[in-house]
Amino acid sequence: MLVKRLQYLALMLGIVLAVPVVQASSDPAAEMKPAAAVPAPAKEIRSTADHGKFKELQKDFKSGPEVTQACLTCHTEAAKQIMKTKHWTWEFLNPESKQRLGKKNVINNFCTAVPSNYEFCTACHVGYGWKDSSFDFNKQENVDCLVCHDTTKTYRKLPGMAGHPPYQDTEFPPKSGKIVPAVNLKDVAQNIGKTSRATCGACHFNGGGGDAVKHGDLDSSLKDPKKYLDVHMAKDGLNFTCGTCHETDGHNIPGSRYTPIAKPKDANPHIRGKNDSDPVTCQSCHGNKPHPQALSRLNSHTDKLACQTCHIPEYARGGKPTKTLWDWSTAGKLDKDGKPFKTKDSGGHDAYDSRKGDFKYEANVIPEYIWFNGKVNYTLRETKLDPNQVIKVNSFEGSADDGKSKIWPVKVFHGKQPYDIGNNQLVVFHTYGKDDSALWSNFNWDKAIDYGMKEIGAEYSGKYAFVSTEMSWPITHMVAPKKDALACAQCHAPQTGVGRLDKVPGIYMPGRRANEWLNTAGWGLALLTLLGVLGHGGLRIYLARKGDQK
Amino acid sequence: MKKLVGGFLVGVIFTMVLALFMMPSLMFKEHVSPFGFEETVARIQHNIQKNPNGWSLSGLRDPGKAVQNDGGNVLPVMMIEACSTKYSAPILKTDDRRYLSILMPCKVSVYKKNDGKVYIGTMNAGLMGKMFGPLVGEIMGHVAADQKTFLEFDPNTPAPQIILPKAPSGGGAGGGAGGGC
Repeated sequence: MLVKRLQYLALMLGIVLAVPVVQASSDPAAEMKPAAAVPAPAKEIRSTADHGKFKELQKDFKSGPEVTQACLTCHTEAAKQIMKTKHWTWEFLNPESKQRLGKKNVINNFCTAVPSNYEFCTACHVGYGWKDSSFDFNKQENVDCLVCHDTTKTYRKLPGMAGHPPYQDTEFPPKSGKIVPAVNLKDVAQNIGKTSRATCGACHFNGGGGDAVKHGDLDSSLKDPKKYLDVHMAKDGLNFTCGTCHETDGHNIPGSRYTPIAKPKDANPHIRGKNDSDPVTCQSCHGNKPHPQALSRLNSHTDKLACQTCHIPEYARGGKPTKTLWDWSTAGKLDKDGKPFKTKDSGGHDAYDSRKGDFKYEANVIPEYIWFNGKVNYTLRETKLDPNQVIKVNSFEGSADDGKSKIWPVKVFHGKQPYDIGNNQLVVFHTYGKDDSALWSNFNWDKAIDYGMKEIGAEYSGKYAFVSTEMSWPITHMVAPKKDALACAQCHAPQTGVGRLDKVPGIYMPGRRANEWLNTAGWGLALLTLLGVLGHGGLRIYLARKGDQK
Repeated sequence: MKKLVGGFLVGVIFTMVLALFMMPSLMFKEHVSPFGFEETVARIQHNIQKNPNGWSLSGLRDPGKAVQNDGGNVLPVMMIEACSTKYSAPILKTDDRRYLSILMPCKVSVYKKNDGKVYIGTMNAGLMGKMFGPLVGEIMGHVAADQKTFLEFDPNTPAPQIILPKAPSGGGAGGGAGGGC
């Protein structure tokens, strides 16, 4: 009783004290104070160097390369380090398959290919001026330091500018009426810092031509994620940036889509900062037996299941639907006035665009599950294909019994794209450009393909058709809280009748994968036993009664 | 006599057990949608608006938002709320039936399950109405008939846009928009 009275008194006291505070804060005079009179909070500098005080950065820079030259006066090795990375070369030679990969060489089933579209695509290159195949990869001032190290969130590279930011106010998208202000290079250069979710996300969240389009587990909802979306990156959780796991070494960033680590080595959790070849894997922090003793049964799953399989139950969970289909074959339709048009789906996302064809989007997508041993094979431009089959742009190797594979969740992206029917090969086509051959300008496939193939010096028969394609993306971000990991029943005894791993070959799933013949034989034996018991009992009763009658 | 009473009791128990198991599937109906999640919501909303019996959308709730705010995940679920004063007014005017306002507005739930399919959940308004006498029974019979039209989809018509409520409908609360009961 006394406690309740004290609580009541405290509540009343709180209200009495709070009223003047509320009144003070709603004082109109306080609101009228001019913003300029409020002193700006002092910039907190945690680094030992304040770049705002550097003499080299006091200039009014006219271009990005000028800034880079200034950066290199102190960071003498930075450009050389960058030049060895895939972020610069857009090229990767797979040491095992010997396939020459990287954005420069691969044809995907989103925007398809970089060659002949450099000016547009290189908005996501860590360089300046890659507008055609003559780009100088050895010129150090072509490296763009600011795109990764900007902290002002004002630095933006626009498609169509060959990797340069806008140096003057620019209308973007063209004819949209929206103006992107010219970048203040001096301000950005004086405020550089570590990479952030925003800097990495500027490209990686927008892969495939827009927010959330490509990966499914990477989109702008990860800029400021809540705990439900990603326990590692949540601001009210561990607040990881991308660089916390993708820990760089001399500007080289670990984590590869071309040679992913499917089954990390048995290892105890390492200490951050220690040299580790696999810092991006879950195991590098959590080890191979991460579950506590009470849940030790789960540890017996870790040999065959990737952590992501249970801990990322769905992707695209941040409210940004991901693209699941892109059909280029329908591109080029024009409205009754002969102009390109767009239509929207029920959620307001593009369903059709004359420049690109038909799309489908989906949020909260349940992944597909496959065996994966880390080897990825690509259908390259020169690969001969069978147009009667769905072409796997990339195929993931793996099986239940190779000892190297785990079951992984993947996003499978479906597409339809042009191929050369004379040579049975995928084609490179010219989408963006101010010339007459670009598909987005004239909607003429013949010209666009002809231009693209000439650009790479490849033979083209002159005839094209469209082929169905698939591309897979391992799901590894958007780790849900542990209470939302897949429950046993979602694989073993699903209420919907469809288990998550039903389509994964080569596994026996208790509660799911019964042998029909064995089941029939077992139930048959049980039935026969029952019949035998009933028959025997019935006979005994019958004979006993018959005996009584006598 | 004993046999008669025993048989009667067995019959009662059997009926009760049967009712216990059958009740959920009798009171609620579940259908698989041929469309994606957002398209299903949008098509139902537009069907509701097309219905000539005075139906209007009164809300669109996302109960999953509250779970997200609490740091958890659930598969998508949206509740479409609709009301027709033609049916609600007679019930609300009768004092001894006003408690049935708890069933208003009429709800259609759209949700995804672990098999990846989109489902539509509705109440069996016809059957429920019969429990509350002839007036409510008759009204709910009409509601059930209208409800059926909400779920009749024409795949040849293009996907319409979702109708978003005027007020934000997060956290399982709010979401009121347009007309209603």
